[in-house]
Amino acid sequence: MSEDRQLEQNKREKPMTLVTRSLITGFIGGLLWSLLGFVMYYFSFSEVAPKTFLLRSWLVAEWTDSWLGNVVSILMVGVLSILTAFIYYGLFKKINSMWMASAFGIVLWFIVFYVAQPIFINVPQLTELSANTIISTLCLFILYGTFIGYSISYDYHDTILTEERKQTE
Amino acid sequence: MKTKDKNPISPNINDTEAYMKELVGVGTSFDLGFREIIILKNKVQLYYLTGLCDTSVILQILKVIVEINDNERNKNKIPEIIENRLIHQQVNRIKTMDEAVDQVLSGLIVVFINGEREAFVVDVRHYPGRQPEEPDTEHVVRGSRDGYTENIIENTALTRRRIRDARLRHEMLKIGERSKTDVCVCYLQDVADGGLVKLIKKKIQDVEIDGITMTDKTLEEFMNKRKWNPYPMVRFTERPDVAAHHILEGHVLIIVDTSPSVMILPTTFFHHVQHAEEYRQAPTIGTFIRWTRFLAILASIFLLPLWLLFAMEPTLLPKELSFIGPNEEGNIPIFIQIILGDLGVEFLRMAAIHTPTPLSTAMGLIAAVLIGQIAIDVGMLSPEVILYVAISAIGSYVTPSYELSVANKLIRLILILSTAAFGLYGFSIGFTLYILFLANLKSLRTPYLWPFLPFNGKAIIQILCRIPVPYSNSRPSIVHPRNNYRQPIKK
Repeated sequence: MSEDRQLEQNKREKPMTLVTRSLITGFIGGLLWSLLGFVMYYFSFSEVAPKTFLLRSWLVAEWTDSWLGNVVSILMVGVLSILTAFIYYGLFKKINSMWMASAFGIVLWFIVFYVAQPIFINVPQLTELSANTIISTLCLFILYGTFIGYSISYDYHDTILTEERKQTE
Repeated sequence: MKTKDKNPISPNINDTEAYMKELVGVGTSFDLGFREIIILKNKVQLYYLTGLCDTSVILQILKVIVEINDNERNKNKIPEIIENRLIHQQVNRIKTMDEAVDQVLSGLIVVFINGEREAFVVDVRHYPGRQPEEPDTEHVVRGSRDGYTENIIENTALTRRRIRDARLRHEMLKIGERSKTDVCVCYLQDVADGGLVKLIKKKIQDVEIDGITMTDKTLEEFMNKRKWNPYPMVRFTERPDVAAHHILEGHVLIIVDTSPSVMILPTTFFHHVQHAEEYRQAPTIGTFIRWTRFLAILASIFLLPLWLLFAMEPTLLPKELSFIGPNEEGNIPIFIQIILGDLGVEFLRMAAIHTPTPLSTAMGLIAAVLIGQIAIDVGMLSPEVILYVAISAIGSYVTPSYELSVANKLIRLILILSTAAFGLYGFSIGFTLYILFLANLKSLRTPYLWPFLPFNGKAIIQILCRIPVPYSNSRPSIVHPRNNYRQPIKK
């Protein structure tokens, strides 16, 4: 009897926490990989940094050029990544493959650098970017996509498996 | 064991003798002992392996059996009398010759009695071995100094001594058509994932090789699908406290006879970067140690390729760091210098493994003078190359898992080569492929980079910080524990 109650409790709680976990994954993923993006910018792997997109495009205030600009833009990427995670959760969570998540990263890169490029005045057109920048940012987006996507789909499948296991026991 | 093709024990003892002579080589192999004695005018034969039995125990048993002639008269109850007089705590009856042969060859005494369809087996095994001592590869400043030995019975005892739980299971299996090696699967029955235990046992039973002399490593190769992957897919440990800790977390242990290391399953990358030392220090210190170690491991993989990249393309460096990079061009291309230096360190390491202690001082001197100074003086290597090669070499020695450090070394070499060939593209793409490769690895259905990729917040905190034990209430979710709570949560 008590076990039954526990099971029901789990059922009620799980979907909630699954979404929350996915969104947290998105936030952390955004922070982590945009931090790496900033490091890449620092070492000239890429000519664009997170702040180039999110701050410098419409702000020319002095502080955006200092360390504060980087911190704020990294945080903003984190918040935006919650949205990314939500999209992946909504569309692809059932596809339990790492490669799907990597492909998602490539698509994101394409969206950011080609489709949405006109929004970011400060970012050069795709054809004007250096090969170094293209390769590095593409790699970064693949890792970013894999991190968010694979985590979400793995978590989803793992949760389902655990529930099934509990029911059979 | 299969039951159909077993030879029953013949009541005629001469058949038994012929069988043992022909098929087991009694009389040909000098280490097979054989003794025939007459008890109450009936033939009784004892078979044993001279090297694996405790002589004093055999003597005692023989003495008592022979004394039956003086003390007993009832000829109709010879087996009962003999069983009664076998003064040992482990006496079993067996019915087939195959079992008898197996037992003799494992070091037990088998007693055949003329006219009986059963034989007695007395466990007088005494394997040559050493005492538990601190393992060389996993020293700690504080903490227990005992380590697993080559004896599976002692090893299970060392674990049992730490977990006196009735639900701890030690299941014995046998591998090897010829070697008949004992393999023990240990787990907590109410914690470990039942499916995992089943899978592991199935994989062990599916092995049909003649012998596993290289013990647990061979078994590991049978466990995992990707045979060429350089990364260690199980964690080996020689410390009973580490092993017991993992059992409590819900992992499954495999102990193989004649190996002093046990396997912990399932394992992720991050199991290989932890060390018992962290848990013997204050949590803050443990966290600090861990971060330093992460830094060292990262340096052992990425420092050399990154530096090579900066040496090749100095424009990448920001103004503050422009001092990085070789000051003089040198006579040899940088990447060849790096590979030479790295190979030199590798030579040293390999030599150090099997250099006898009296020669190691000489070896150290040669190494220090040869690679250190002269290589610079003659213009082979530039000083900066030596610095970075040394840092990354130390970084790989800091890696607690020897297997992981070697695998990282290989990856470092690949990254160096791809950076040398394709510059920045080589480095970025190499880095990405490396991470994807690791993330795609699976050790018994467990993602290798968990909890980093796939991400699990709760678990990664446990890895980034050494959480005080009173606060670690739950078991890691990756082992799918049946019972998740290590201790009640205090409010």
